[in-house]
Amino acid sequence: MKLPAFAALPKNFLALAGIVLLAIAISPVAADGSRVFLEIGNLTDILRQISLIGIISLAMTFVILTGGIDLSVGSVLALSTSLTAMWLTRGYTHSVAVAILVAVAACALAGAVNGLVIAFTDIQPFIVTLASMIGVRGLAKWLSSNQNIDIGFGQDLAAHFAAVFRQKALVIGSYAAASAAFWTLLSRTVFGRHVRATGDNERAALHAGLPVRSTKVWVYTLTGLLSGFAGVLYAAENHQGNPNAGVAYELDAIAAVVIGGTRLSGGKGSISGTIVGTLIMGVLTNMLRLNNVDSNVEMMIKAVIIVLAVAVQRGKGGNGA
Amino acid sequence: MVHKCAGAALVAAAALAIAGCSGPAKKQFFVAFSQANNAEPYRAAQNELMTQLFARQPDVKLVISDAQQDNSRQVAQVETFIRQKPDLLIVAPNERAALTAVMGQAMDAKIPVICLERDILQPNYTSYVHSDNLTIGHMAGEFIVEQLQKKYGAPRGNVVAIRGLLGVEGEINRDKGAREVFAKYPDIKIIADPVADWIQAKAKDRMTEVLRAQPKIDVVYGHNDPMAVGAYLAARELGRDKEMLFVGVDGLGGEAGGIKKVMDGVLAATFVYPLCVDKAVDVALHILRDSSFRPEKEYRIIPTLVTSANAAELYGK
Repeated sequence: MKLPAFAALPKNFLALAGIVLLAIAISPVAADGSRVFLEIGNLTDILRQISLIGIISLAMTFVILTGGIDLSVGSVLALSTSLTAMWLTRGYTHSVAVAILVAVAACALAGAVNGLVIAFTDIQPFIVTLASMIGVRGLAKWLSSNQNIDIGFGQDLAAHFAAVFRQKALVIGSYAAASAAFWTLLSRTVFGRHVRATGDNERAALHAGLPVRSTKVWVYTLTGLLSGFAGVLYAAENHQGNPNAGVAYELDAIAAVVIGGTRLSGGKGSISGTIVGTLIMGVLTNMLRLNNVDSNVEMMIKAVIIVLAVAVQRGKGGNGA
Repeated sequence: MVHKCAGAALVAAAALAIAGCSGPAKKQFFVAFSQANNAEPYRAAQNELMTQLFARQPDVKLVISDAQQDNSRQVAQVETFIRQKPDLLIVAPNERAALTAVMGQAMDAKIPVICLERDILQPNYTSYVHSDNLTIGHMAGEFIVEQLQKKYGAPRGNVVAIRGLLGVEGEINRDKGAREVFAKYPDIKIIADPVADWIQAKAKDRMTEVLRAQPKIDVVYGHNDPMAVGAYLAARELGRDKEMLFVGVDGLGGEAGGIKKVMDGVLAATFVYPLCVDKAVDVALHILRDSSFRPEKEYRIIPTLVTSANAAELYGK
């Protein structure tokens, strides 16, 4: 059967296009006759709202491509929000850059520990990162004595930080820049090829002399780093360090990756797919909220969409996973 | 063909789900309520009462969103509400700092905002309707002192406090208020204060550990009713429930609420932390219908002590 030209597009793009068209079709109409969904303010709301999960899911794509999983991203984000707020509000530093660097470096270190344990023992990534999900959450709560560390709206360093880093343009720009960097890393570098090879057939990759272990250490380090950066943005957006932040974010990130067509067993997938997967979830949430769909029904609809979106891609012309 | 069928089904399913959820009809007031977490009984009771009260007003359409105790999700939901330009926005903030800015955005968009129950960092609201947890803490502390006085003829004894989610205003002040009272009586000691995050099952586990460690307990002060009940269940399991009194906070109505637990003799007392919804709806209707109405910046609702003496009467209400 000859398919029309647009069918050559990856199936997840079609799924996204379908949801966007539906969102436009059923969008509430503003007083001036325009569609609320298409307002620039609303569209940028969506992008800002998906940016944190979006950033985490970029790195999660790498982890899943190696055949691994990282359950600790939400806890690492919480650690980052707490460290950022502590450094800024308790006078440990007079530089926003130092505070961010401390938070992100600590999170990259947490990721590196995950990676080292996974690469040099035969404990499965699920178990290693489950342990760090618990442990890092504990660390964040311990460091902050279970308290939220509020960032005020005054004239101090912390307030200045929040005012800058909660700007829509900066948040969305960060997501865009990270997306570009990770797309390049995966599709244009030797490291990217090693990531895929590790997940595709680890034994073959080892026999071929590829640096499987260091690849694994790096992907988990990158996940820690990006989760940490997402935590910095969270602290600014929410004006607080919050050791209870990010619960279940790992599931949202994993959902975005698999909706984007990356095979959960590794080897096959793409950054562009993950971005589309993230957008699908973001547009869907916005569409349902704009139409005031009951939040319990919203969860049921999302469940159906997740399965259908993956089913669409597994059809003819999908990535054959 | 699989993908095409699936694609069609996807669109059909979503369209079906949304059918009937069209926007508000003309000449109707659209009130948006952003709730922090539907899963807490107190908040579920708020939702129910608010739905009931607005349902009596044929010209008001109420929509409630549930942030599932997630700051980012609530910020996103309020942003989306702002796009819909409601006639009035009610926000029960999940946490103070996180919602402050976005509620300011709503005010900037000329939407009247009622802040319900939890405080925010800046007064980004038209009116703030709340009760007072510090007063509840004081009232609970005084009630406990009175009970110990009755038991021993002097204010002395061992108290266990079961704490909610740390860092939350309700937790801080329910704890602080009672401690301020106990500080006047050196022979009243808080011998353990485990954290159970407002959750009954966790309170039962934490209380079991306390019971193993503490041979003598006079009063358990749960910072909400479910935790006090959880502590009671733990004591009962170990056959020690008669040894001590259980005091809770929230005093919700209904079969599972704290007032019923006082009637059943499980709790010695609870304090009705008012839902604040009656007042909020009242203020909301005035704002909607009377453009000259200027609400107070703040309304404080006083808590009520519930004991076996008045539980049945309050339960009937």
